[in-house]
Amino acid sequence: MAVATATRPAKRFRRSSLYTWGTILPVLALVSLFTLFPFVYAAVNSTRQRILTIPYHQPFVGLENYREVISSDTFGVAVRNTLVFALLTVPTVTALGLGVALLLNQRVRGFGVLVALVLLPWSIPLVSAGIMWRLLLHGNFGSLNGLLMQLGIIDSYVPWLSDPDKAMGAVAMAHVWREFPLPTILFLAGLQTITPEILEAAWLDRATAWQRFRYVTLPLLKAPLLIVLVYETMIAVSVFDLVYVLTGGGPGTSTTLFSWYAYTATFKFLNLGQGAALSFLMTAALLIVIVIYMRLIRLREESA
Amino acid sequence: MFLRRRLAFFAGVVAAGALFSAAACGGGDDEAAPAEGVKASGTLDFVVWSYSIETIQDNIKRFEKANPAIQIKLADHSWFDYHDIMATKFTSGNAPDVAYSSDHWLREWVAAGWLEPIDERCPQLAQYKGEWAPYAAEGMTLDDKLYGVPYYADLVIFIYNDQMVKQAGFSGPPQTLAELQQQAVAMKQKGIAQYPINIPMKKDDPWAIEFVYSMVYGDGGSMFNKENEPVFNEPGSQAEKVLQFLADARNKSKISDPAMLEMAEPDVVKAMGAGRHAFTILAKYNLAELNLGQHKQRGNFKMALMPGSTHSTVGFVRFYSLGKGAVDQGDAAVKASCKFMNYFGGKTGGQYKVMKRWALEKGLGFANLPLYDDPQVQQAINKWGDVALERKQAQLARVKEGLTPWWGAWDIYAREQIHAAILGRSTPKQALQKMADRWEQLRKQHGG
Repeated sequence: MAVATATRPAKRFRRSSLYTWGTILPVLALVSLFTLFPFVYAAVNSTRQRILTIPYHQPFVGLENYREVISSDTFGVAVRNTLVFALLTVPTVTALGLGVALLLNQRVRGFGVLVALVLLPWSIPLVSAGIMWRLLLHGNFGSLNGLLMQLGIIDSYVPWLSDPDKAMGAVAMAHVWREFPLPTILFLAGLQTITPEILEAAWLDRATAWQRFRYVTLPLLKAPLLIVLVYETMIAVSVFDLVYVLTGGGPGTSTTLFSWYAYTATFKFLNLGQGAALSFLMTAALLIVIVIYMRLIRLREESA
Repeated sequence: MFLRRRLAFFAGVVAAGALFSAAACGGGDDEAAPAEGVKASGTLDFVVWSYSIETIQDNIKRFEKANPAIQIKLADHSWFDYHDIMATKFTSGNAPDVAYSSDHWLREWVAAGWLEPIDERCPQLAQYKGEWAPYAAEGMTLDDKLYGVPYYADLVIFIYNDQMVKQAGFSGPPQTLAELQQQAVAMKQKGIAQYPINIPMKKDDPWAIEFVYSMVYGDGGSMFNKENEPVFNEPGSQAEKVLQFLADARNKSKISDPAMLEMAEPDVVKAMGAGRHAFTILAKYNLAELNLGQHKQRGNFKMALMPGSTHSTVGFVRFYSLGKGAVDQGDAAVKASCKFMNYFGGKTGGQYKVMKRWALEKGLGFANLPLYDDPQVQQAINKWGDVALERKQAQLARVKEGLTPWWGAWDIYAREQIHAAILGRSTPKQALQKMADRWEQLRKQHGG
């Protein structure tokens, strides 16, 4: 009797377990197929010599692909360019997003229209945005050059995209324009959770506008700030579409970012092994950056 | 226990997923001719790069009318992305039946198993070989096997604005690079053009390397020897002189447009047509566009022999190729593809109808030498060009050297180094040495 009683909960547990697994199995299989399988497949590729023009000889080479890409001259260039690009764009997008959010938080007339206008760049597909910026920045017939000539700021057309010193700035500018709406919306949402009484109390304590922002508003925006920093860093490290459309990684290698290097290894050099190795290196770099960010934010919280 | 079950479950999912990666590579049959009794029929996937799509669609309509059992599904992609898109299509098992290809991709695509030889499968096409220009036949042949029929074959030529040259006080076009510099400097000093020279050198434009090759050939130089070993990096090579010329033109004498590194063929055609530049190097069909199209300077453009001591240049061929897709589908699809390729690249009713149409309507060059004797073709060419000069340049044309399975990968790297040299970020010697080193690395990788 005691045994029969003991088996009933176990049977119920097994049935409920079977039901649970049965209902989530199809979804799990799909998710595994589209995330786990490509991950494993890429990992396998990264340890094999997989060159499409040598289809019948694809031996296991261990970490040789990783060694080859790290020791290539393009790797150093791509890493440096990606760091420069991230350093240019992440603070700019964050600061611009925060600035615009602070302005929008004033709740002026036409607030809804302003928000819609701010969101416009983000609603344009990346490739379309890239084509638009390429036409704006073209060294021969770009409208930016035309405008600057008419204003007398320049006396001849500037090759924005074919001058290595300017091309990176041009790509960064297009990227910032396309990306700043999201931080704006996130910061705006964060600002709207700050109760006016806190700011009023600070004002009553004779805190200046900058002090109110620095000691009251900013600490309360920590959560959206972390999200923005992490997200925008990920985007800056993995940006591809704009580079593809605007410069093709050129002139020379001046805008060859890490993502572009991974793309050319796979689709232009037809070396799937090295392309996969570069993708994993990029993923590892992103994970490290995210961990660093989270640690920094946590340290600040603890010291506060 | 629960954790073990979870791990076992996930391992099973991974294993199941890994099974999907075992791609059954179908096709790759031997090159047997299709069975006799099989009729040419079915739907063919035809992939092209985006040029004059309406003309292609019209040609397809005519073909389908004459061959109601065969339907054609046309897909086009930008020329700049064509190679990468085709690599994706072939690798993902979405191989087309017939596709445009080019001499500089032939060895790469054959090594990857993407193209099929047509000698046995389409014997009716091999009969045209005798009428093709030698550089065209060579560009479609590998290890004595034929891999296509010409879509068009043309030359890289030197184009100049005759009116601007005369305005500068010169009686004719430059014959050497030194004369080119002299004329360009004179034009700049007289305010005729701020940047008289513009050669499209956009990094992702497959044309860029062909223009460099043509300048090297023009001065009697070579890029590779018969054993496909680089000679462009030898001290004092023509390649070094050409890169030095381009670098000086940009950075010292400022006679070439600094924006040329971001400009592709259509951009340069527009700029030339607007009168911003006097000299360029382009594929010959652009001369037709410049002289007949809606441009401010239309009618003012002429062709000259490639500046240099030998006036040699690059002759190239773009062709219809038989893809794995057709072979995988079976004999009916192969026969249909052969019929299609014969219509587009061969004779219909004893005439090269499609090739002649391209020549008359768009000024595209052709591999089929008998077309030069056609009075209609001669008349059409002379409206915008010079048949006699074109034939002379064609006799001096050479196939691109170094075409190997790894040439495509090397080309991408080479363009980066060419940019670096033109920008002055490295010397021409350093750039060429890096290009040679990469060549050796790729050759070793391919067991060459």
